[in-house]
Amino acid sequence: MASSSSSGLTFKLHPLVIVNISDHYTRVKSQTNGCSDGGPPSPPPRVYGCVIGVQRGRTVEIFNSFELLYDPVTHSLDRAFIEKKQELYKKVFPNFYILGWYSTGSDAEESDMQIHKALMDINESPVYVLLNPSINPAQKDLPVTIYESELHVIDGIPQLIFVCSSYTIETVEAERISVDHVAHLKPSDGGSAATQLAAHLTGIHSAIKMLNSRIRVLHHYLVAMQKGEIPCENSLLRQVSSLLRRLPAIESEKFQDDFLMEYNDTLLIAYLAMFTNCSSTMNELVDKFNTAYDRHSRRGGRTAFI
Amino acid sequence: METEEGQAQVIQHFVNKASTLETTSSLANLIAEATSHPSLFAFSEILSLPNLLQLQGTEDSAYIDLLRLFAYGTWRDYKGNSALLPKLLPDQILKLKQLTVLTLSETTKVLSYNKLQEELEVSNVRELEDFLINDCMYTGIVKGKLNQVGRCFEVQFAAERDLMHGQLGSMIDTLGNWLATSDTMLSLTEEKIDWASKMCQLNMDRQQELQGRIDEAKKNIHYNVIS
Repeated sequence: MASSSSSGLTFKLHPLVIVNISDHYTRVKSQTNGCSDGGPPSPPPRVYGCVIGVQRGRTVEIFNSFELLYDPVTHSLDRAFIEKKQELYKKVFPNFYILGWYSTGSDAEESDMQIHKALMDINESPVYVLLNPSINPAQKDLPVTIYESELHVIDGIPQLIFVCSSYTIETVEAERISVDHVAHLKPSDGGSAATQLAAHLTGIHSAIKMLNSRIRVLHHYLVAMQKGEIPCENSLLRQVSSLLRRLPAIESEKFQDDFLMEYNDTLLIAYLAMFTNCSSTMNELVDKFNTAYDRHSRRGGRTAFI
Repeated sequence: METEEGQAQVIQHFVNKASTLETTSSLANLIAEATSHPSLFAFSEILSLPNLLQLQGTEDSAYIDLLRLFAYGTWRDYKGNSALLPKLLPDQILKLKQLTVLTLSETTKVLSYNKLQEELEVSNVRELEDFLINDCMYTGIVKGKLNQVGRCFEVQFAAERDLMHGQLGSMIDTLGNWLATSDTMLSLTEEKIDWASKMCQLNMDRQQELQGRIDEAKKNIHYNVIS
């Protein structure tokens, strides 16, 4: 059903939309699972909502979304609610229009076309954002697809079908900060210093691994070029050379001085903290000793153990 | 990166034009045009065209030397050989000076004003700074910071000139070193992660053992009191 789109529109998706859809889905799923316990696991619920944003020329930028109730009887979304929400959003964001709708699931279905057609009177070419909630650890890109509708002639009958479009993620500074924050969540219950250190180091490790693989590719390419297997491409060589000239990135006396000073300071502080810990433990030990072994000599007025 | 993209079209244009020209004088004109073009800094593609090599033996061979100078040399080289090379137009002079700055920033990150003034034969600081700002940074071939108090120019990024033959080998060496360093970093990080989790495990085991001994001691006291 989905081939690639030919309308030439570029789509920009904000992370807020993805977080909203996933949040909506998680809430609904946890509520339905909470009620029905002890029984076969129910199929994952589908959630629906509207996406809003701005369309400038050929660029469609999807900023925000809100949730809608799906009426399984009439197979349509609640129109009065959509209108009301649109009015409210217009007051705060006068530029935003309803650009389309979203849903969850693994693939676009036939019934979705009905909803899509219903929305066509608000926006003549709505977009359909589909989030795939199944977690696939091997998958590298986001499980979000954007579909547009196109009129194709199939078996002599012009029909509307969904076609995939590519999109890019666009962030505002505030969104970037929150996404960064979520990405760096440390496990708060296994909160010992060592697991946090391990998590931090693992992050660094994966970053260096990516850098390593890219340098390896470049190295391989240059060696092949030297052996003559690949024709020399001057512009690429120039860029690589300019990159290599920037190494070493920081090397000067001042850097070394500052670095060593900070390193020494950190070590000193760790040492000092350990000292304080040890001396307080000693203090407690001595107090316990005094309390335990001192009762007899107290009457005679003799001095304490220490 | 942006300079490369900007240049790619210009290079293509000149290469196409040069392959169609036949006479030496028109090729000489082409070289003059290419070397004064404001956004062209890479000449090795044009240099490698067979049409141009035929200029070598003729009386216009000065032009191919000029092209080589623009590809690999600096203002100082021009001064040294100015008898042999054709007279430069002001556009070409400007370009040669820009290329000199690029060459200088290949070796040192921090270029002192004195050195720059010497290499570029610019007499006062104001002119030097104007040259650096207008002709190097705004064109995008160099990115860096001007330190007026310290009288130096710190280069963060410089576009590359054409490569001579030996440089490919040294580039591969540098890349090899970088690769080796990042490999060692990876293994060190892995070691640290293992160490951290091992220490954590040891600590927990010790805590549990200690707790076990405390519980035992408490039980013994209880029995002593009763018995």
